[in-house]
Amino acid sequence: MTARLPLPREAAFTSRLRSAAVAARVGAVLGVCFAVCFVTGIISHWAQLPRPAVPFPTSPAWGYRVTQGLHVTTGIACVPLLLVKLWTVYPRLFAPVPKGARRLLLTTLERASIGVLVASAIFQLATGLANAARWYPWESFSFRTTHFAIAWVAIGALLVHIAVKLPVIRAAFGADVDDTALDRPSATVPGPVSRRWLLRSTWIATGVAVVATVGNTVPWLRGVSVLSVRSGDGPGGIPINTSAARADVVATAMSASYRLVLVNGDRAVYLTREDLLAMTQRSEKLPIACVEGWSASGTWSGVRFRDLLDLVDAPRGAHVRITSLQPKGAYRRTDLPSNFADDDRTLLALGLEGGPLDLDHGYPARLIAPNRPGVLQTKWVSRIEVVA
Amino acid sequence: MMPLRVLLGALGVAVGLYGAWLLLDRQETAQVVEVAVWFLVGVLVHDAVVAPLALLAGAALPRLLPVAARGPAVVGLVVVTTVTVVAIPVLGRFGALPDNLTLLDRPYVAGWAVLVGLIAAAAAAVAVRNVRQARSAAGGPQA
Repeated sequence: MTARLPLPREAAFTSRLRSAAVAARVGAVLGVCFAVCFVTGIISHWAQLPRPAVPFPTSPAWGYRVTQGLHVTTGIACVPLLLVKLWTVYPRLFAPVPKGARRLLLTTLERASIGVLVASAIFQLATGLANAARWYPWESFSFRTTHFAIAWVAIGALLVHIAVKLPVIRAAFGADVDDTALDRPSATVPGPVSRRWLLRSTWIATGVAVVATVGNTVPWLRGVSVLSVRSGDGPGGIPINTSAARADVVATAMSASYRLVLVNGDRAVYLTREDLLAMTQRSEKLPIACVEGWSASGTWSGVRFRDLLDLVDAPRGAHVRITSLQPKGAYRRTDLPSNFADDDRTLLALGLEGGPLDLDHGYPARLIAPNRPGVLQTKWVSRIEVVA
Repeated sequence: MMPLRVLLGALGVAVGLYGAWLLLDRQETAQVVEVAVWFLVGVLVHDAVVAPLALLAGAALPRLLPVAARGPAVVGLVVVTTVTVVAIPVLGRFGALPDNLTLLDRPYVAGWAVLVGLIAAAAAAVAVRNVRQARSAAGGPQA
């Protein structure tokens, strides 16, 4: 006796709503969103290169806040779009296998590309959504490396999909959404809503998903963003990603023996926090913009970074390596490219919003530079070394 | 149009293969295997769980609601279900850390309930209007 899965046939799907006319329209918006995610993702990886061949610009100061906010927000917008898109094309999964070697080969290749596209799209949205909420349900793989690699796979599969479907896309946009020319023969039963209302529902769902989460990075929407990962509250009005306790720096950061070391070749200068406070103090309004998509602007006070480099006669154009008090972690040591080190707005911050820096914000001293991913705005700075 | 399509397809294959190389080149085999598992599980969860549930909902709708109420119900369900998928990580607060009070610091279940309540109320209001119109003038407009 053989058991068979009761798989439906493509012809069993009769709703007129599952039409290429709908799929093309939702797909076009989804494609644009994927392109935005891809470009802003590339920008984020460029911003995180330790020594980029093409320097990442320091202006505008809010640039990374916008691109990364857009990255996460557009990714969230993709969730309703993708779900509706997959719903409209679901019957195709059960399409009959064609006869003839050549057609079979072409169909198999196309189905394989669709499989890769759907799998990579779901993978990117699921891992991105989890990462934005700092949820890591997987065991071993690196989110950053994998999300970057699969992004290229997704965009590649998307380009193949557009190439295959271009005639259908053109025909769909050349006709009314209610046109039945592109429909499967069995798709003849009217749905509970019109195609126009299915599209409107999709746009409404996308809008609601965006508004409900974007308060993370758009302060005036915080009140209505009931699903945003952060309310935006925190010491000095800025949230925290890694606490001092988690970074294991509470004792060293509060220690009376804390010294900041400035190193250039065989020259070294040791400074206490009091020494730093005795230097010329500057104030800059700069955002913290995190890779997870949240951001907040603050008025930071402290020593201009270039003034510190002058203490050890570092030439302009020198790259700098910054070390944190934290004993381990991928971001214990970060590279500050020369254009950031030399920018007048880059500070070694000692205070935030008129008060001393909170321990969780990097007390006794932290880096704050314009247009830089938050993960590279090193906290609890212990060493600043000129490397070239 | 054909040369453009061939070019686009070839570019897509090249870009996709570059991504595959990035994946394989920069991680250990065990990590790549885990990526592959997640890759497949994502599709399976959609194709074998999410999509059949949507089918069931579509089949149940006509049995539960009068014709005039089905339109607003569908619109409401599309919005509620997709937004709920977006909300899974914050509703579960899986990433919450005891030492970080600025992370996942909203009453998410309450916020989600209010959101769903508002959408349901809007859908119900339109449905009631539709049903009344359908009664007063037979064959009234759908949503």
